[in-house]
Amino acid sequence: MSVSVTSETYAEVVQWLHDESELLDDGREREWLEEMVSPDVVYQLPLRQTVERARGDGFTRETFHLDETYGSLEARVMRNETAYAWAEDPPSRLRHFVTNVRVDEAGDDRLRVRSNLLIFRTRQDQTSPQLLSGERRDELIRGEGRLRLARRTILLDHTVIGTHNLSIFF
Amino acid sequence: MQTADDLLRQLGDGLDSGEVPAGLFGNADVYRQELRRLFGRCWVFIGHESELEAKGDYVLRKIGEDKFIAVRDERGEINVLFDACRHRGVQVCRADSGNTSHFRCPYHGWIYDTAGNLVGAPLWRNAFKGMDKGGNGLARAAKVDSYHGLLFATLDPSAPSLPEYLGGMTWYLDLLFGLNEHGVEVMGPPQRFVIDANWKSGAENFCGDDYHLGTLHRSVWEIGAFPIPFAANMMGYHVQASPGHSLSFSMAESAEEPGPRFFGFPDALAETFDTSRISERQLDVARRSRVLVGNIFPNFSILALPMTEDGGNHPPVGIITIRTWQPLGPGQVEVWNWFCCYKNVTATERERAYKAGLGTFSMGGSFEMDDAEPWITIGRTGRSVAAEATGFKLNYQMGMEGIGISRPVDPDEWPGPGIVRWSRYEEGVQRNLFRFYERMMTAEPGEWPALRFDG
Repeated sequence: MSVSVTSETYAEVVQWLHDESELLDDGREREWLEEMVSPDVVYQLPLRQTVERARGDGFTRETFHLDETYGSLEARVMRNETAYAWAEDPPSRLRHFVTNVRVDEAGDDRLRVRSNLLIFRTRQDQTSPQLLSGERRDELIRGEGRLRLARRTILLDHTVIGTHNLSIFF
Repeated sequence: MQTADDLLRQLGDGLDSGEVPAGLFGNADVYRQELRRLFGRCWVFIGHESELEAKGDYVLRKIGEDKFIAVRDERGEINVLFDACRHRGVQVCRADSGNTSHFRCPYHGWIYDTAGNLVGAPLWRNAFKGMDKGGNGLARAAKVDSYHGLLFATLDPSAPSLPEYLGGMTWYLDLLFGLNEHGVEVMGPPQRFVIDANWKSGAENFCGDDYHLGTLHRSVWEIGAFPIPFAANMMGYHVQASPGHSLSFSMAESAEEPGPRFFGFPDALAETFDTSRISERQLDVARRSRVLVGNIFPNFSILALPMTEDGGNHPPVGIITIRTWQPLGPGQVEVWNWFCCYKNVTATERERAYKAGLGTFSMGGSFEMDDAEPWITIGRTGRSVAAEATGFKLNYQMGMEGIGISRPVDPDEWPGPGIVRWSRYEEGVQRNLFRFYERMMTAEPGEWPALRFDG
């Protein structure tokens, strides 16, 4: 709940999140991967169901829409670099809106960051956007003078995903 | 506007020439008729029995656009119940899955047990004393049955039994799901996502549209996600297992050729495969199989093949995905995608199979993320005025007499049932879907088209 970091650290994290969004919105996926993601990253988008209140928030522990390591993220980046990545060629127009940033120290040069995320996506001549809304729970690790993404859990506000694929990064 | 009758007549007239009217992929009248004549009558996939292991376990599923509760009752039987209270038609199951002893309507409080019986309502004596509870249970599917744990239901009391309906497809389901005494289970609830496409695009693709791999999915070879070169992968058999149900095998011509066996399942798992539930000949076909892809009419598809989500670090491993193409309108489909694995795999093998499947054949997977792109525009073509005005027919001629290299396979060469052709450069598997489709769509209530090629 409370922000246990200095305002300097907080500003650094917010700047990091904005820089990250810029790379993803601009399709600079390889730069994002190589400069902002830690080699031991765990990157997951768990599957969610509608369940009764007594059973919790409906997120599953062992099933996902995305369950990625650095290697599989790199395979996705490589795929989009081929001449046959139809899902993103022509590319989607993408905008990451990041708000409600909360930062806590997690020890061992790690920061725990929570943020709200709204992704606005259109393809071809679509006028109605595809919208994805959710919370990101990240762990950033500091090393060699920079922060990198060590863990990301994307908790979407959807059980049925209203986009035709997930060829994008969160 | 063209009616369903117009388009079905064009289909009936054109199919022997490999012509399918594009309007089938977008016409609203066709869609309304599909809901009644296909989804209101055929055996449709509900889920896997491993999702309902304990008494009281339930999942909310669909037949056509309508919600049904699949629930294991106190006697251990599985019921498929229409999710609508007998009193005013209100939804009584408001979660996707769970475990319960009863379903209570939120409107007036009618309560049903897990077998669908009405067991009470608030202030029963004042409100309903003297009324028979017996006739007021939840409505239910006419028939429910399962095959290798795959649970199906039909709303049509005149439907043939599930084994009769599956026909020759049972032989092929055996050699994917019955390879040992343990069988398979699903790994968690289904992934669900919506595509602005017609449901038949998924169904006909999984009948055996292997030809699209070379173009649409070319990227997966470039990143090393799939171990069999495109040209080699086009070798194999196309099987019309019985009317409506089709499948396709990528397979070496002889058992001696190197390459993945048993769909790329781990060697330790393959060592447990035996003839406890299948014949020696089925086991032989499974051993030679690199890929199996198929569709059970109308909208249930299966796929097994070696895959990896990270070719740099993990070799491909056999995965199984099963999915339904759930209709949401003439131009929209909801995909329900489950991953399966054999119950006797190790935790590591299980995790590998899950990650490899998720990273390739899911909405975020390297294979599947491209599929929606063409399917969306097929739907657009299907509902276009231009298609109607120009009498636009889609070309399903590959592998017809005199076209391409496809050849019929002698029954001595192939031990399984159905109409079988060598090489996967062939679209008879899709024509088989559309031929049965045309017959179901024009059949009178209570009347069933032939379920065997010789019948």
